[in-house]
Amino acid sequence: MQIFIDLANLIRGWITGMGISEAAAEIVMTAVGAVAVIVFILIHVILLILAERRVSAFFQLRKGPNRLGPIGIGQVLADVVKTLGKEDIIPAGADKFVFKIASTTFFATALLAYAVIPFGEGMIIQDLNIGIFYFIAIGSTATMSVLMAGWSSNNKYAMIGGMRGVAQMISYEIPMVFSLLGVVMLAGSLKMSDIVEAQKNMWFIVPQFIAFLIYYIAATAEINRAPFDLPEGEQELVAGFFIEYSGIRWALFAMAEYANMVAVSAIATTLFLGGWNAPFGLTFIPPFVWFMLKLYVMIFTFLWVRWTFPRLRVDHLMHFGWKFLIPASLANILVTGIGIYIYRAITG
Amino acid sequence: MLKTQELTLNMGPVHPSTHGVYRCVLTLDGEYVRNAVNHIGYLHRGLEKLAESRTYSQFIPYTDRLDYCSGLANELAYVMAVEKLMGITEEIPERAQYLRVICAELQRLASHGIFVGSFALDTAGMTAFFYAFRERDRVLELITRIGGNRLTPNYMRIGGVARDLEEDFFKELKQLMDDYDAAIDEYDGILTGNEIFQSRTKGVSIVSKEMALDYGFTGPNLRASGVDYDMRRDEPYGIYDRFKFEVPIGETGDTFDRYVLRVKEMRESVKIIKQALEQIPEGPVMAKVPKVIKPPVGEVFHCIENPKGHLGFHIVSDGSTKPYRTRIYSPTFVMLSAFPEMAKGTHIMDAVLILASIDIVLGEVDR
Amino acid sequence: MFGQGLIKGLSITLKHLFDKKLTEEYPEVKPNLPDSFKGSFMLKVPKCIACGLCANACPNNVIKIESEKDENNKKKLTGYKMMAERCLYCGFCVEACPTKALLWTKEFENAVYIREMVNLDLFSSYVPSPDDEKPAKPKKQDEETAQAS
Repeated sequence: MQIFIDLANLIRGWITGMGISEAAAEIVMTAVGAVAVIVFILIHVILLILAERRVSAFFQLRKGPNRLGPIGIGQVLADVVKTLGKEDIIPAGADKFVFKIASTTFFATALLAYAVIPFGEGMIIQDLNIGIFYFIAIGSTATMSVLMAGWSSNNKYAMIGGMRGVAQMISYEIPMVFSLLGVVMLAGSLKMSDIVEAQKNMWFIVPQFIAFLIYYIAATAEINRAPFDLPEGEQELVAGFFIEYSGIRWALFAMAEYANMVAVSAIATTLFLGGWNAPFGLTFIPPFVWFMLKLYVMIFTFLWVRWTFPRLRVDHLMHFGWKFLIPASLANILVTGIGIYIYRAITG
Repeated sequence: MLKTQELTLNMGPVHPSTHGVYRCVLTLDGEYVRNAVNHIGYLHRGLEKLAESRTYSQFIPYTDRLDYCSGLANELAYVMAVEKLMGITEEIPERAQYLRVICAELQRLASHGIFVGSFALDTAGMTAFFYAFRERDRVLELITRIGGNRLTPNYMRIGGVARDLEEDFFKELKQLMDDYDAAIDEYDGILTGNEIFQSRTKGVSIVSKEMALDYGFTGPNLRASGVDYDMRRDEPYGIYDRFKFEVPIGETGDTFDRYVLRVKEMRESVKIIKQALEQIPEGPVMAKVPKVIKPPVGEVFHCIENPKGHLGFHIVSDGSTKPYRTRIYSPTFVMLSAFPEMAKGTHIMDAVLILASIDIVLGEVDR
Repeated sequence: MFGQGLIKGLSITLKHLFDKKLTEEYPEVKPNLPDSFKGSFMLKVPKCIACGLCANACPNNVIKIESEKDENNKKKLTGYKMMAERCLYCGFCVEACPTKALLWTKEFENAVYIREMVNLDLFSSYVPSPDDEKPAKPKKQDEETAQAS
């Protein structure tokens, strides 16, 4: 099923047919791709909010929102209307400019990561030859927004939350990068499409299982999801760094959290679960569908973990990150390197 | 050297994990608690004063509102105190005694259920909260059958209990008791055995034997610190001496022990109820008590093992229909006073857990 | 081994994912309340002898009884008001009633928009029903029940 690519080619042909130069057509096509991805994200965010509420309810023996529409799909609309209708409160003592832009930048960084995610063969906005590097770099900038939100709110809870967020996200950046290095070494490229191609025969989750686990843990911490949702810290910090936000500004934080979750799940799918490659030769199912299936499995595990585990303490989190995950990821790089060396020595 | 400044954080009275309208002013160094100051009284309703303008029986529904997680046990404490004052402790019918034990232990299950649930919630384990509340709700449904309300049943009476219970109730109670062990195993699986949970609670805020006794700890918190004392076994009131049960003891007195001990106590409560169901005789449920209760002049103190500790009533009678003075000794008020000491030097995330492990109920603290 | 407890927790939650859900879908499905449930009050006016025991038993002076003496010097109920906003729902009044005229109902949806509307006027809201004694002759019934008690 190449329907999306066909569609893109159709639009491209249509634009160039109107007599626009190749370069201009390229710009328009990028814009079209960006809009498509944003629509993809928004749909997923909205569905995920519903899914989280429903799945968590099922874990907890509840039924969850089920009143509006089939399986409660109308609840999403009600949520949107509610958040849009809320008053936009900015605290009197807040740093107003920083306070206003913090929620936007947080969501923007979440969107930027999607530029390098290959949804299917050829379905990537920019197949950068430093794809993974780009993802990591963009992911780190989210730290700034957390600090901005926490600091500008002029609230003690928010400040503690923001500080926790910075400490946690910077610390877990490192094991995440190291765990991805193992994959890069096996694939020999930073380019997303190359990495997916390299997994034609064997998914990297098999040789890089340790790296996968480290990536999973570090990514959970990176996107502030439970059991690592310390910046939010509902029990002691009430809502953490976005305690003072309301209405659509608050909704942007919530949406960014889900957008981030989809992004890290997509990266995990691409790097460890074989991307759009079909397992067991089941190629009659189109690659895009395979990608989405794997994505949803990953997202489900995130929900599952969130609704099972209690939250870690801050110092344990730091110890775990620096004293366990980083050495483990370094060891993984070493073992991978030796393995590649031996493999090359054997096969010549 | 950077200049650092201590941060004063006002936790409460509106805060998700203060378990009611309790306020605590924390002085933080980074995220570590340097000092904590209790502020209570937001839920003060003057129950002790109210008791002076109510007759002896009219005060029974008010005791439900003390520790609203364990209404029946509070009633039992009050009713037994008045009975002691009147000198009719021996006249309570057998069946009423058994019903009282069943009620008190059911209430203990409900109260400990709310403890496990809210403790899980304070560690952010939302799902365990719902599992704990599932059983608690079944208990509360039984309590609704006993007294007509979920939290404020008003079932105990001076001289017995309000009414006999139907056969259906016992059948359902038996069914619940058979299911309870599996449910407690589930709490153990999802919380007690969880490594994250253990790392959050083990070794946090150790209360030594001496400190527990100095602060006047009672009930599960005292036993968690290693003091082997349970009023049900050591100074049996009612008919508790007829039941075989163990009193679990904590080893270190940390937050984990305080949690685990309550889970173990739930198992013992189930055992007691099962024995009571086997032994319960037929008969009347109310002793011959005059309609207008006029205890002789004098005073009395009676104390029972409430789910949260020793709940005592000190009643002074001047021979009229209303008590001259009623004093309520509430366990969580006493134990809350130890919170600043327990929280000192711990992380703010632990402070929340320590507060939860004391198992405070503000209705009882402020009275 | 580290992680065993985590996996056990995961397995427990996964097991419950497919369990029967316990949510009561309240407005559609009414809760199954026991007979002893204390919801709202109901007064069978013909049975009431206006003795005032319920008002006496009440800890909060919720009940206001108005009565007048008729030609036979019998008390006759002319008004029965309950300040339900102060009610503890303890049930002492129902227990105190010698003629079983005051009863609990399972009506629990007592929320109203205006505070005063919480209060009950059990005398004027009484609807005669065939189960009760004939409302036309409350006097006679009063005598009978008075003798019986």
